[in-house]
Amino acid sequence: MIRYDIVICGIGGQGVISLGTILKLAAIEEGVSVMGAERRGGAQREGSVTSNIRYRGLSPGEAHDERAMATSGLIPAAGADMMIAMEPLEALRHAALLNERSVVIVNDFPLIPVSVRIGERAYPARDEIYARLRRFTPHVHVVDIDGLSKQNFNSLRQVNTVSLGLASALGALPVSEESILATVKQRFPDFETNKRAFDLGRSASGAATHGR
Amino acid sequence: MHPLGSREKGTTILAMGNEAIVRGGLEAGIGFFTTYPGTPASEIGVEYMALRSEFPHLYVEFSINEHVAAHAAQGASWANIRAMTAMKHVGMNVAAEVLHFAGYTGVKAGFVVVIGSDPGATSSTSEQDDRWYSLHTHLPILEPATIQEAKDFTALAFELSERYNLPVIINAPSKLCHNIGSLSLGSLPATFRVKGTFERNPSRYINLFAGSVANHRAGMTSARRLADDAPSLGLNRVLSGAGRTGFISSSINYLYLMEALSILGVSDAPVMKIGMSYPLNAGEIAAFARGLERIYVVEDLEGFLEYQIKRLLYDENLRTEIVGKDIFPDYGELDVDLVTGILKDELARPLPANVQRTAALAAELTADIPPRQGAYCTGCPHRSTLYSIVKATERKVIFAGDIGCYTLSCLPPFRAFDWVTCMNCGTGIAHGIMHTNQDEEVIAYVGDSTFFHSGLPNLINAVQNGTSMVLVILDNKWVAMTGHQPSPTTARGVRGDTMKPVDLKGLLKSIGVTYVRTVSPHNIKQTIVTLHDALAAKSGVRVIIAEEECALQAERRATFSPPEYEVYYQIEPERCQKCNECYVDFGCPAIRSREAGGDFHYYIEESTCIRCGACHDLCLNSAILRTEIKRPGREAAS
Repeated sequence: MIRYDIVICGIGGQGVISLGTILKLAAIEEGVSVMGAERRGGAQREGSVTSNIRYRGLSPGEAHDERAMATSGLIPAAGADMMIAMEPLEALRHAALLNERSVVIVNDFPLIPVSVRIGERAYPARDEIYARLRRFTPHVHVVDIDGLSKQNFNSLRQVNTVSLGLASALGALPVSEESILATVKQRFPDFETNKRAFDLGRSASGAATHGR
Repeated sequence: MHPLGSREKGTTILAMGNEAIVRGGLEAGIGFFTTYPGTPASEIGVEYMALRSEFPHLYVEFSINEHVAAHAAQGASWANIRAMTAMKHVGMNVAAEVLHFAGYTGVKAGFVVVIGSDPGATSSTSEQDDRWYSLHTHLPILEPATIQEAKDFTALAFELSERYNLPVIINAPSKLCHNIGSLSLGSLPATFRVKGTFERNPSRYINLFAGSVANHRAGMTSARRLADDAPSLGLNRVLSGAGRTGFISSSINYLYLMEALSILGVSDAPVMKIGMSYPLNAGEIAAFARGLERIYVVEDLEGFLEYQIKRLLYDENLRTEIVGKDIFPDYGELDVDLVTGILKDELARPLPANVQRTAALAAELTADIPPRQGAYCTGCPHRSTLYSIVKATERKVIFAGDIGCYTLSCLPPFRAFDWVTCMNCGTGIAHGIMHTNQDEEVIAYVGDSTFFHSGLPNLINAVQNGTSMVLVILDNKWVAMTGHQPSPTTARGVRGDTMKPVDLKGLLKSIGVTYVRTVSPHNIKQTIVTLHDALAAKSGVRVIIAEEECALQAERRATFSPPEYEVYYQIEPERCQKCNECYVDFGCPAIRSREAGGDFHYYIEESTCIRCGACHDLCLNSAILRTEIKRPGREAAS
């Protein structure tokens, strides 16, 4: 049976929802069943946003089992095969979804919450955040995705596609690179630039730091 | 082409629960749709609006409130056009009067009411369970669990509505409304009914005295007939199994239950999945219960299924133990983890090792994470208005806020909010307070859409009764929190299409408001001076219209017709005194802090700033610089 659960977390306006949409459309392209709820937290910016992507399908010759296939919109505790966190603190906020085999991709670019800005709370040191994540799983990949996009494309617009490249290289996704790229081509303008961003993500996966 | 309008039967598309409901309506030949936008149901109206170009027969309306929307859909149904109205759960309170009569009158063409419910109140001020209404409206309730069922049940609801002469409710919780996944399409009708005909039906439509009593009875008789037929409809299903312990659930809670049982390694328990939670068929429930010693009922909130099941089984002389709200919380939202945690104790099953390990780590390592609450978008006019209100009053007034994006002012840094309950609670409750306490001033503020929803009676009442209050109408021209549906003050769409806005000033004048001022919120100084003036005027209702389009819509508009000049704002570090006025008190997300040589300075993040200019206006040290650059002409750009 195909079962693969991805949680994407970040902040309103970071593209969490559109990243999830691409990964789901790739499943439609591939003929794999998919579902997963979004937590949007109203229409405002700055709040936590998550997207659940839950791939389900039958292996060839396998019979449908209603009990095994019943899948809700939310990934349960310790259930995420992969986490894509667009912000370090958000990765830790959702760490209860991780298990020791989970693959975690963290964008090394903190955004300061209002509670910290007004001096009521402190933002933990980044190294401390990553050390805590590694207690959950050894497969934590810290990448400055914002920086990569800015350096190579002079814009934050390619953050999503770089992340897709990283995810396809680092995880055992049940959707192929081709299906993801076909979806990117349908949904995003300027496929050439996005293809370069995707390849950049794939190659950055090798350089992703395990011990920042 | 809109994917929801596809004529290719059997195609699988990616759809949100709300979109599946839209498609279900289309497959049933819907011709009329109304809504007042409310999360989690807002996207239903947005998608129907987008489908109008491909389905020109379809009438789609963003109504002024849910009561108006429900009446309109009832009218269309009476004119023999299949009709749907959608609302969030609290909208049911507003539409309740209409829908209490809908059973009395019956329907002509299918009439479906979609309720987006919100256990856990993730985007609402209450989490009430609207299913309880049906014990006195007698309207049938279908509860889809999956995206596919959201479509299939909606299409079926139209048929049931006609067959049983009752409006049918689709109850969809937020985690289904916003579940996005695979949806297999059914076929669309070859033709849609375009023209309605109203046929008089005085015995059902005229509700007076004995006629009203007869219609009350007729509605209940219809519901009983549906209950009798329930087992043949295929909405309720049993997964047979072994053992003397069974489970009953409905909606997404069925999925939570199945995942929890699977995590706990229970693979053969008898489970009944309820698709129609009202009316229930006593025989059908009894057939499942017979032979079981105990049944766990897994559902959100106060236990609507449990209440009915206990009652039915008592009449059937069955004493199967029904366990529901004794162990599951009757508040908040269930999820897989909560259900797993409760059932592991009940069924004496251990949690898998990896779940235990993660839970222990999470308790140790994630407890101290700073919360991340929402904030106004960059350039939001509400931030500027609220900043000015806080500065002008130094918080020494009663704040009567309301429901909309501006409800965020209950959070830091503004904290200018003394209560929030339902729509127009601000002016309504303030009116009562001000007649008992003349020593304090109140500033009420309400958005344009919320004001028109139900605020006009409050305001007329306050004027008529000489209430002293300052009311700020935050007129941003859109229903913004639910995703920019038009409001009565919308003058132009983002592509330049014109609409017919209400003359707000003329309206205020005609109801007797003599003090009306208009301010541009990003002009902070003007706004503060005007607030001082209004507070000094002391008596009567004083209205300030803070008029500025929602920044997100203004930004979209600019992509269709870019302005001639590009404006930039920058913080000059040499002048900045780090007084925190812009960074903390104003709290714009585009103003950020950066470490530099052991020190730090504030800067404006270019990619996030939308050039509203409010920070430039409020900076006490003139440290925020404004630069204007003429854009290259079209020829030069291409």
